[in-house]
Parts: sequence; structure tokens; C-alpha cells
Amino acid sequence: MPPTLPDFSSSVKLKYVKLGYQYLVNHILTLTLIPVMAGILVEVLRLGPKEIVNLWNSLHFDLVQILCSSFLIIFIATVYFMSKPRSIYLVDYACYKPPVTCRVPFATFMEHSRLILSNNPKSVEFQMRILERSGLGEETCLPPAIHYIPPTPTMEAARGEAEIVIFSAMDSLFKKTGLKPKDIDILIVNCSLFSPTPSLSAMVINKYKLRSNIKSFNLSGMGCSAGLISIDLARDLLQVHPNSNAVVVSTEIITPNYYKGNERAMLLPNCLFRMGGAAILLSNRRSERWRAKYRLVHVVRTHKGADDKAYRCVFEEEDKEGKVGISLSKDLMAIAGEALKSNITTIGPLVLPASEQLLFLLTLIGRKIFNPKWKPYIPDFKQAFEHFCIHAGGRAVIDELQKNLQLSAEHVEASRMALHRFGNTSSSSLWYEMSYIEAKGRMKRGDRIWQIAFGSGFKCNSAVWKCNRTIKTPTDGPWADCIDRYPVHIPEVVKL
Amino acid sequence: MAEGTVTHIGKRSVVSSRWHAEPGKFCHLSVLDRLMEQNQVKIVYYYPSRGDHAEPGEWIKKLRDSLSCVLTNFPILTGRLHKNQEGHWMVKCNDGGVRMVEAKVKGSVEDWLKSVDREKELKLLYWEEMFHKPYHWPAVYVQVTEFEKGGLAIGLSCCHLLADPICATMFSKAWADTTLSGIMSTPPLFHSLPLTKADYSKIPNDESCTDLINYYKYSIERLTPLTTNQKYATVTLSFTDSMVRDCIAMAQATGASGKSGSPAFEALAALFWVCLSKVKATKGRLFNMSLCLDMRNCLGLDPGFFGNCMVCNKVHLESAGETMLPEATKAISEVVKKMNAEGIKDLIQWLKCNDNQTVPLMNDYDLICVNLEGVNPYLATFKDQLEPLQVSYYVEPMVGPGQVLISRSAPGEGPLSRVVMATLPEDEVAKLCEDDLIQRFSPAVLMGTNKN
Repeated sequence: MPPTLPDFSSSVKLKYVKLGYQYLVNHILTLTLIPVMAGILVEVLRLGPKEIVNLWNSLHFDLVQILCSSFLIIFIATVYFMSKPRSIYLVDYACYKPPVTCRVPFATFMEHSRLILSNNPKSVEFQMRILERSGLGEETCLPPAIHYIPPTPTMEAARGEAEIVIFSAMDSLFKKTGLKPKDIDILIVNCSLFSPTPSLSAMVINKYKLRSNIKSFNLSGMGCSAGLISIDLARDLLQVHPNSNAVVVSTEIITPNYYKGNERAMLLPNCLFRMGGAAILLSNRRSERWRAKYRLVHVVRTHKGADDKAYRCVFEEEDKEGKVGISLSKDLMAIAGEALKSNITTIGPLVLPASEQLLFLLTLIGRKIFNPKWKPYIPDFKQAFEHFCIHAGGRAVIDELQKNLQLSAEHVEASRMALHRFGNTSSSSLWYEMSYIEAKGRMKRGDRIWQIAFGSGFKCNSAVWKCNRTIKTPTDGPWADCIDRYPVHIPEVVKL
Repeated sequence: MAEGTVTHIGKRSVVSSRWHAEPGKFCHLSVLDRLMEQNQVKIVYYYPSRGDHAEPGEWIKKLRDSLSCVLTNFPILTGRLHKNQEGHWMVKCNDGGVRMVEAKVKGSVEDWLKSVDREKELKLLYWEEMFHKPYHWPAVYVQVTEFEKGGLAIGLSCCHLLADPICATMFSKAWADTTLSGIMSTPPLFHSLPLTKADYSKIPNDESCTDLINYYKYSIERLTPLTTNQKYATVTLSFTDSMVRDCIAMAQATGASGKSGSPAFEALAALFWVCLSKVKATKGRLFNMSLCLDMRNCLGLDPGFFGNCMVCNKVHLESAGETMLPEATKAISEVVKKMNAEGIKDLIQWLKCNDNQTVPLMNDYDLICVNLEGVNPYLATFKDQLEPLQVSYYVEPMVGPGQVLISRSAPGEGPLSRVVMATLPEDEVAKLCEDDLIQRFSPAVLMGTNKN
């Protein structure tokens, strides 16, 4: 409600007024149609059958007119059905579960940090402070090459990590969906920081012996939001190619990107990024309608790269000693907020119920005409979605979004727990969060899910899914052995 | 030379595979643990090459994974040392992990064993001295060395505060069990040494001081001599079943004084006592020697007990005539008998009351003879039929006149067969091997000093 009356917002009476208003506006069509139909029915009953037959005869329909009208109706119907965009179904997805032997507890991370950065105690202190407040748990995993003192990030080790992560996820996907490698028509792999030649998509094609006429794409350099960019690309391709399967693989390869220097702004990714990956099967086949888990409703992409500050916000560069690292600027949160606002402005009209849109419009008009001092109305997205998957980029991102969208702790629980258990797995984090919600048995048919991801550039991408069938627990997946321990309370600062 | 040089591939930490949900848990160390602060236990296991041609690095990876699993049951080994409020060492179970070093050597393990000596063998063990801040110092180091032409060597180095050679062997067996089948036959138990209420009420005073307590008192109060740059060499002699029986027979020539608990140990200890005294030229008198014995059975501890439980005591023999060996054996036997549960409990009680900060470097004044018969290291089979070829024990750092470690032999050589590792100053080792008495038994030399 507009904050001109803040004292009454907790009042019960106002809540019911709000509910009544929402019901009225959201169902306005039904509410106007019912009296009209009732009126017609009463009129028909009053007239009686003889009168209706007389009315019909007076219209003087002949065969030609009837045929033309029916052809017209059929033609319009055909054009409508042909031009309707194909429904894109998410049949199933699989997340990579790292082996327990890759686990990195806090104590080990800090000890290695101290040994490697022995000349820079200040940097070590900084890393410790970050880790204490990061929201990560003791079970996050790093690839084997990073466990060495000092780390040994060779190209071979990077390829090894890519193979383990991607092939495990794909094997799991094949098992879950019964998909045969020869049936993959479109393959999209996204991995931002590791881009070898031949590409990772070529690696997948080689391993699984995919068809020679496959449409493969490899997206690199697009940051943590590349997962949703890949979904968008798959959707566009599936509009063009009928009856096809698309496999999207989202991952981030940690091995080659461990920052070896001691510039503070660049040490942050070392503390937060962890091993992870996901493989998703999308399809536009009608036969998949019955077993698909979700249907893709919208994808909205927002790019703030035109603004210089946003462009330099997450920047890969060399530090003073020539060591390459990703530098995060101090106004990352502010820029993320701006990007989110932009994205919400676009997605709002697509998903919000009429009641919220009307309120937003009225407040907007009010601000423009009556009083610019009115605070802009933040639509209540909780009415548009049942579940939220916020990219687990860090605790600060989740806190910021929770505040901006006025979400409750339960809404952001999936994001926080995924960050705790798996760390920041970049583009695949959204899928770990989705898996969490499923594992908790909260995913019911008809639920709408909003996935939001931020990435370098600066980009904010959203995807809206609708649950196609209720997902029963227990589910297999990365949470299978630990879901009973969650949710877990994550203290503000973990004492190390 | 190129063949036989140990190349380090990498160093990393190995953490337990399951997260302990009780962060900040502490494990306290007993008085016997704390006495051993300055020492380390090191064990080297050699495994033969087998027909299956594993890829280079495959065994290292397998062992790393199983080490991770077994460490879940040994939180004391993955923790870090901390001083508590009373200034005593204790372990904070913070899941830091153990340090593992991966290495490789050209040649096969059999070739290596033909020409190994102390210096070379120590290269298969990795150790770093305690850091200025022990909170980041792992107390356990594992080195896995792959032999390019076949075979494996596993070197375990552990701070003596946490484990003595007996429980270090137990840990290796648990690791091997986990690699083989995932189940440990003797899960470890961590608890304090057993002392009943009655023991606590006894007030130790000077009159009730036994020899044992006197020995410890003397060791602690004496100033540690400066470490010299003495170079040591180690020789490993293997005594078969029949050789040991002959030795026992010889040692009991002057009227057997009844059954003793470990005739093999006593006989061999006496043999080396006599021979080393001759080597060190003490003219008819026997050199000062202490025995270090495992007290687990004495104190009635469960076989899974994990912690220090080895106690030392001095052996006396004023003078010996012609029948040196039997008299030496008798003296040793008497000392062993005297070290009973009562005496040990009194010692523990005394140590608790006289807890001071100075910790001696144990084993640095006398010749020390350690009884490791209590465990069988050859049970640590990492794969079907992949039994250790050879196992070497070290208690470092080596200072003082010498050390003799008596342990069990590979199975199949008889129940009384023993392996004796003697570490002495370089020049004395050759003299020991050439000693008449030892030559009478003609033991096999598994590791000697190589001049190449």
C-alpha cells in the first residue's frame, strides 16, 4: 500500500480490504462476464423457444454465408495456433555432486592461504574475514588441483575438472530422463572463465558421440548469468526447430582461475567460488508434456553494459605484479540493485497480477502529476511467484534482494542453503537451489518459480518457470544425503 | 644418482570425508602424551610391485580417498595443537586435515630395498618442524612414494604427542582396512588413561617413590645436553624363528627363573645390550640402557586405545662375569616384571602432581631398547595379498648413544622371528655387524650402510 498510511498497514481490517481489492481486480473479467451471461440467459428464457426460432429465421442465413464464416473461423484459428510460440518444457535436470574427498573445511582453506600468502598477512586476514561472513559451510568443494600447496592449475587439470563435472552431470541426466545421446539436437555449454580449443561443447560431443548435424554452441565470458542466457538461446532455437531436444550444460571451472596474487579486491572469488555444474534437458516435443517438470514461461534479459561503471564493475585484469584476477568493485551492490530494478520493470507487467499493476500505475501517475515525493510502489512479487531462486553469488547479494523485494526468510531459504552447502557455483547455482526446493517437497503443480541471476557486464537475467507436475520426495540429486540437516542456521560471523 | 632419487610431485592436505557437526571440540592429552612432545614417530611401509599395471598416480589417488575416509574416525589426527589454560598441549578438532606429500622414484621397490640405508629411507618420510604458530601446523604427515617400475612406499610421520609407535601402527592398519573393504576391524577409542578413585586418593610422597618414578624424575630434571652433529646410521637385522630360539636358549643357560612374558624381546634386548656395550668399549661393565615397554595389556586397556602408553625404565647390572648374556637377560626380565599396573599408576599420579613445563627429550642419555612386539605391522594389507614387504620404525630425533627397536617380522617366518633396527653413531654400526656374538646367529641384513 502507498506509504502515506503506514500506521494502518498492520491492521487486520486493511488486510481484508487489500485482499478484496486484489480479488476484484484480478478477476474483473470473470466478474463482468457473469452478470452479462446471466442477463442473456434470463432474456432467452423469457423469450421462449418459438421466439428464438423466429429470430434465427429473420437473419436470412444461406449456405454460402455459413460456409464463408466457418472458413473464416477455421482460418483465424489456424493462424492463431501456428503463430503461437511453442511451449518449451524442462523435462529434467541433474546437478553435479562433488566427491567428499574434494571437501575444503574453513581450517584447511585458511591454513593453505597462510602458507601460500606467507608474505602478506594482511591479505590472509582479509580472506579470513570474508570467509567468516561468507555464509559458506564446511562441505563446499574445490577441484583437486587447488588442494595443492601451492595450487597446480595446469591446462590438463582444468580439462580434468571439466570432464569430471560435465560428464558426471550428463550421465546423471541421461539416467534420469532415459535420453539417448543420439537424440540430442541442440547442445549449449556455458562456462565463463575456461575456454579451451576445441571447446567444451566439442568435448561433450566427442565423449558421447553425438550426431554430426547437432547444433552446438559454447558460451564463454558471460559471467554467472550465462545459465539463463543459455536457456534463452535454447528457447529461441527450439522455436525454429520443431520436435527437438536441447541440452544445456552450465558450469564454472575453478582450476585455471585461482588468483595467485594478493590484491584484496581480487581475492574474493577465491573465497567464494566452488566446484559445481548442472545439465538441463529442454524440449518442445508434445510427447514430453506429460513427464516434464517445468514449462518455461518467460525469459527477461537486462544488460547495463552501456553504463561505464556497470561495465567495469566485475573486471578481469592483471594486478601490479602481473597476476590475472577478477576485480570486484566496491559499488557492486548498488549496480546490482539498479540492474534488478531494470529487470523488474520489464518482467513486472508480464507476471504481476492486474491488481499490483494497477496500483503501480496509479502510484506512477500520482508521482508524475500530484506529488513527486511519493515513494515508488514496489510491487509485491510474492503474489506472482511461489518460489524464488536467487543466484547464490554471496551473502550480500541474497540479503540485498531479500530487502529490495521484501521477501521472507523462507523465500530465500533455498538460496542461502545452496550457498552454505555448495558455495558460489556460478551459473549452476540456480539449479542447486531448484533442487533444494524439490528435495524439501515444496514444489507443487502450478507453482511459479522466478530465477534471477546477476553477472559481469553488468547483466541481470530472469527466467520464469511454471511447475508442470507435483514433484514427490525423496528426490535423487545433490541434496539426497543431507537434506534432512537443512535448513541450518547460518550465523552472521563464524568464529574461525 | 638418477635411479633412487625421490622427486616430490606435490604437497596437499587431506581432510576427513565427513564434517563433524561439533566444531570447537577439544581432545585432551594425557601426562604420558605430553612427555613425548619433542619426539616424532615415523614408520615406512614398503609394498611390492604386482602384476596389475596401475597408471602412475592411480594408487596415490586411491590412497588419498581412503585416507580421507579413515580420518573421519581419527579426529585427533586432523586437529591442531593448542595450549590450554594450564599451558598444556591439547588438540582442537578443527578438521584441518593431515598433510600429504606425493612423490615418485625411478626403479622398482625391490631395487630400492637392495641398496637402502638410513639416509635414503628418511627421504621417504616427510616432516616439518613445528611452526612458530602451531595452530597452522599439522602434526601428521603422510608421504606416498610411487616406484615407477612397480611398488609403493608409505611413510607416516606423526608427532609423538598424539601417538606412539603402537597406535601409529594401528592407524595404518585401519587405513589399510578402509582401502580394502571400508570396515575397520578395531575402531579406535579415545579416552584418558585409567585411574580409579582409589589411585587418586593416594598421596605420593618421597618414601613411596619407586625406581620408575625416580627414573622419570631424573630424566626431567636433568639438563638436556647440547645436540651434537653426530651422524647416525641404522642397520636392520632380521632374526628367523630358529635364530631367536637359539638366542633364548643361550640366554637362559643359568637356571631359568620361570616363564617370562616376552622371551624373544628379553633375549634379543640382552644380546644387543651385551654387543653394544662391547662396541662402545665399556670394559666389562654394561652400558647404561633403558627399556621402553608397551603398557596396554598391563593397564588392561582396550586394544583400540589410541594414545601414548609406552613407559621407560632403566635396567641395572652392576657387573657381569663370563655369563654376560644370561645375566643381562635376567636383569631385563626383572625390570619387565616390576613394571606392573600399580607402578604405572603411581607414575601417572606422580607425573600429574609434578607437572612442570620443561619437557625432556626422552631417550637422549641412555641406550634405549623399545619393545614393539605388541603390534603386527604386516597386517596392513592395502589390497588383496598386497602385504608389506618390509616395515621400518623410527623414533626421531636421534640423539644420544643409540636406539634399538625390536618388532615383529613378516608373517610366514615363524612366531618368534623378529626384526631389530639399531640406530647408532656411524662408526659403531659396522662394528656391531661384525660382532662375534651377533655373527653366531648370522641374521639377515635387511638394511645396512652402503658405501656407494
